[in-house]
Amino acid sequence: MSSVYESLVEIVGGEHVSTQAEELYIYSFDLGTTEPHRPDYAVAPRTTEEIQEILRLANREKVPVAPLGGGLSLAGLALPLKGGISLDLKRMDTILEVNEKSRYVVVECGVSQGQLTSYLERHHPTLMHSEPGAPPMATIAGNMAIHGQGDLAHPYGFNSDMVNGLEVVLPTGEVCRFGSCSVSTQWYTNHPLPDVGLFLGWAGTTGIITRVSMKLFPHKSIVGAGQFVVKDENLIPEIIHKITHTEMVHDLVAYSQAIPPFSSGLHHLTINLSADSEKELAFKMELIFDDTLGHYIRSGDGGYLGFNRGLQRPQVSKTSDWRKGGGFEYVGSIMPVETYPDCYRRGREISEKHGIPYTVLGRVIGMSHAMMFSWTYAFNRADPETMDQAREALHETDDLVLELDGAIWKPGTYGQKLVMERMDPNTLNLMKKVKQLLDPNGIMNPGNWEVS
Amino acid sequence: MDIIACIKRIPDTSEADTIKIDPSQMSIEKGSLVFKINDWDEYALETAVQLKERTGGSLIAVTVGPKEWDDVLRRALAMGADRAIRVDQDMVAADCHSVAIVLAALTRSLPYDLVLCGAQSEDFGCGQLGVMVAEMLGVPHAALVVGLQEEEGKVRVDRELEAGILESYTIELPALLTIQTGINRPRYISLGGIKRAMKKELQVMSPGELGLTAEMLAPQVKLERLEFPPRGKEAVLIPGTPEESAEHLASILQSAGIF
Amino acid sequence: MTLAEYKYADTIHRCFRCGYCKFPVNWMDVNNCPAYARFRMETYSCGGRLWLTKAWLSNEIDWSEHLAQILYSCTACKNCEEKCPLRFNVDIFNMIQAARAEMVERGLVPAAVKEFLENVQRHGNPYGNAREGRGEWSQETGIEQYQGQDYLYYVGCVGSYDTRAQQTARTLGKVLLRSGVSFGVLGSEENCDGNEVNALGEETLFEMLAEENVRKFKDLGVTNIVTLSPHSYNAFKNDYAKYDGSFPVLHYTQLLRDLITDGKLDVSGGMNARVTYHDPCFLGRWNGEYDAPRQVLSAIPGIELVEMEKNRESTLCCGGGGGNFYTDFLGGSENSPARIRVREAATTGASVLAVACPNCMTMLEDAVKAEGLEDKLVVKDVSEIVGEVCGIG
Repeated sequence: MSSVYESLVEIVGGEHVSTQAEELYIYSFDLGTTEPHRPDYAVAPRTTEEIQEILRLANREKVPVAPLGGGLSLAGLALPLKGGISLDLKRMDTILEVNEKSRYVVVECGVSQGQLTSYLERHHPTLMHSEPGAPPMATIAGNMAIHGQGDLAHPYGFNSDMVNGLEVVLPTGEVCRFGSCSVSTQWYTNHPLPDVGLFLGWAGTTGIITRVSMKLFPHKSIVGAGQFVVKDENLIPEIIHKITHTEMVHDLVAYSQAIPPFSSGLHHLTINLSADSEKELAFKMELIFDDTLGHYIRSGDGGYLGFNRGLQRPQVSKTSDWRKGGGFEYVGSIMPVETYPDCYRRGREISEKHGIPYTVLGRVIGMSHAMMFSWTYAFNRADPETMDQAREALHETDDLVLELDGAIWKPGTYGQKLVMERMDPNTLNLMKKVKQLLDPNGIMNPGNWEVS
Repeated sequence: MDIIACIKRIPDTSEADTIKIDPSQMSIEKGSLVFKINDWDEYALETAVQLKERTGGSLIAVTVGPKEWDDVLRRALAMGADRAIRVDQDMVAADCHSVAIVLAALTRSLPYDLVLCGAQSEDFGCGQLGVMVAEMLGVPHAALVVGLQEEEGKVRVDRELEAGILESYTIELPALLTIQTGINRPRYISLGGIKRAMKKELQVMSPGELGLTAEMLAPQVKLERLEFPPRGKEAVLIPGTPEESAEHLASILQSAGIF
Repeated sequence: MTLAEYKYADTIHRCFRCGYCKFPVNWMDVNNCPAYARFRMETYSCGGRLWLTKAWLSNEIDWSEHLAQILYSCTACKNCEEKCPLRFNVDIFNMIQAARAEMVERGLVPAAVKEFLENVQRHGNPYGNAREGRGEWSQETGIEQYQGQDYLYYVGCVGSYDTRAQQTARTLGKVLLRSGVSFGVLGSEENCDGNEVNALGEETLFEMLAEENVRKFKDLGVTNIVTLSPHSYNAFKNDYAKYDGSFPVLHYTQLLRDLITDGKLDVSGGMNARVTYHDPCFLGRWNGEYDAPRQVLSAIPGIELVEMEKNRESTLCCGGGGGNFYTDFLGGSENSPARIRVREAATTGASVLAVACPNCMTMLEDAVKAEGLEDKLVVKDVSEIVGEVCGIG
């Protein structure tokens, strides 16, 4: 056995390191279309100190390290593209603190979305976090790190906007804390300390987040979703604009999909409302469905499909089984809301060209400041041709996003290159300097965001 | 490579206190016992099957015994032997020497490069049979083999000595090896496998067909009787903390001359 | 067998490895797949196991001891089937079982599994204990041999041979005698029911056991069966019909509940204790029976029944299923599911951890010792709690 293996065993214990074929096989795979990339070691640490020692070892021995949370970005961002260590962070799954008064939670990096939702429901039912639509095994920290958005995106923004503080291990092994936690015992705010935003959106190439503090929001006793549908995609931006103006909604999602066939070409809006009394709910419903959307209903341009009480949290994702195939991947983008019609039309073209039933979705972020628009391509893992088709469709969609003046969200290596081609050279230069400063030996999730 | 594997059927005595000696004092009571392939022979069989999988050729499983012993041959066929032969013989008074004569005669009548036997049996534990057969055949042999690698016309074997020391030999074929436990991990034999093995050939012969007479097979070792060893009378329970009882035990062993 | 010949060739690739299978129904943690809780490596989760199975059958990876151990570390608890949101979820354990059957056919099972199966083949129980001793547990209890009574009280291998579980078998027998139930046992004539053998993938051995048992039961004129173990209950209820053996079968908690309700079993003596109940997988998730044991416990005055946070469908398996009470692939760590489970029981403040399965009994009692909780928590079978209330030793 190499000395790296022996050192890893000393750091985390023999049961938490593996060089066996089975672990290396499983940890080679992302769940999307990215080709497998084999690590040399699968390692599952439990503490920040262990991670520090692992990174120091990796720097000494020049071994790449790829941090892995839930592995559900589906863009291959947690794969060991250059071999080395696949660092499974999910053993670090302690919820450290919930502060009801300041409405925040501090978690270790491996805490999953489902675990937190369940914990808050049972112990702090007046609080909730913005939970993304990913399978609940996705981690809080991982979702932050890729600028995810959850079911409070409207009106509260990106999940990365909800960060109150971070504990990070630098590639060279030092621990840093950002936010109030660096000066106070409380993790309630990120500002006003000097901004060192170097770890969100960097796809794990600048360090490993070990703890994060996240804002929590009011959770009311009555929650539900109203469904609204229109045939004309061009109406969607104005409807979204109007609904968000009311400031009454939390989570606003527009989606359209080919399956079931009767819904193809229709555009649904899921409008989440919550209230602590029937009076409050009635008021909100009247404001939205009568006052704001009334005239669309009366003119026949839109249909109200009813309001269902109770929100399923975590949300259940069945997309992967659509083609009975065990897989899907999507291009996510952050777009101006007004681009919804083009995103839909052009996306549908790409899907149909590749024989994939189209699935598109736009989730409003902030006060309609932007939307996360996604194009999903399902494939059958047992049929390599469908994976090729999906991969091609994904690349074409990456191109489309930039053509429509948008920004690719959490791009894989293909999209990263496209984005870097367009970024201004000074920014790229600065990124390169930052990366070199933080990771002089280039061990931190290499292969991603590599500025040449 | 053409291989012959010799196997024996013995009672499963993992629950030692269920063994009873029958009134004749010449054998144990078999009524409630379950029977199986001798452990060492199972390792020999697995070695033979793996060797056959690597080199092609044939594997014949053989035994000397009464009709009940067909079941172990069926298991050998399920494990991967191509065919099986039983030489029908009442085993009540047989000794190693007479069995060796039969096996040697049988082996001479078959094509073979290698004969594999278990190093000893779980019941009588004589450890003689394989070596006797080799002498009768006039072929080179090695006993207590724990490693085996085939080469052209030869085999390279490791033998286990004491204190973990291994001795390596290259032996020209044809040869006979007796196999030690631990050389490999014998595969599980599924019931489905045994059922399918019913289609393979299991031939029964008499010693006469090999030109052997009752006089030739008269045992040279006569069993007088079987009895249990006298039960020990004393058991000492050593109390105290682990450190205290360890010290106490060490002094007992020392005064018994064990250290 | 190639992938194409595998019975679930159309399904095995459909797992997305989304990870739902790690959670309990109530989403509380990611420790509800017992093997994943023990090792926390993706290979041991349900999804990892399915992907590895497919890779092995497609010759992408070779067989190894480690692969076999991963495949046999699944305890058949069905948490994954309960949680998986996709339509093939009903076949998840079937897929594992079919892959095991292939390993069995090739003879490539882990050593402990080989021992288990060989012992059942030879001695009718996985421990390798002599058949003649199978009935010794009932000596001096007054329990009679089965000769056509109303119920066959079927004990199973663990209850017959494990010294702690034998106590349960005896107590239950005496409770049934006290209640005037007409029953008998098979004693040394009893043979393994085959539930674990089936779960381990030895299909032909299971077939042989089932056929022999069905023949025996029919020859004896068995009309009703009551079992000590949910494992036996499951096999008789769900798998024996295929061999022409459709006997009405009850798990003993169902019978006790009826006896109490009908006034034939008097539990008014009561017991002052805070009790928490652990749902056995083969009674709960496999067969949907969550209520009968609770009804028995609730009928006893003085018992304060408290639930662990992970209860009913969310229960964490004790780690003893799929032969693991013998093969012990999940033992040896504070993350062994049994140890996690007794820690969960201890946080309820209960002094008694009630079980209704001899496998759970042995696993959880060992875990209480390993956790050093003997002065805080005692593991008792539901029948033993009833026995104590009735003054039966």
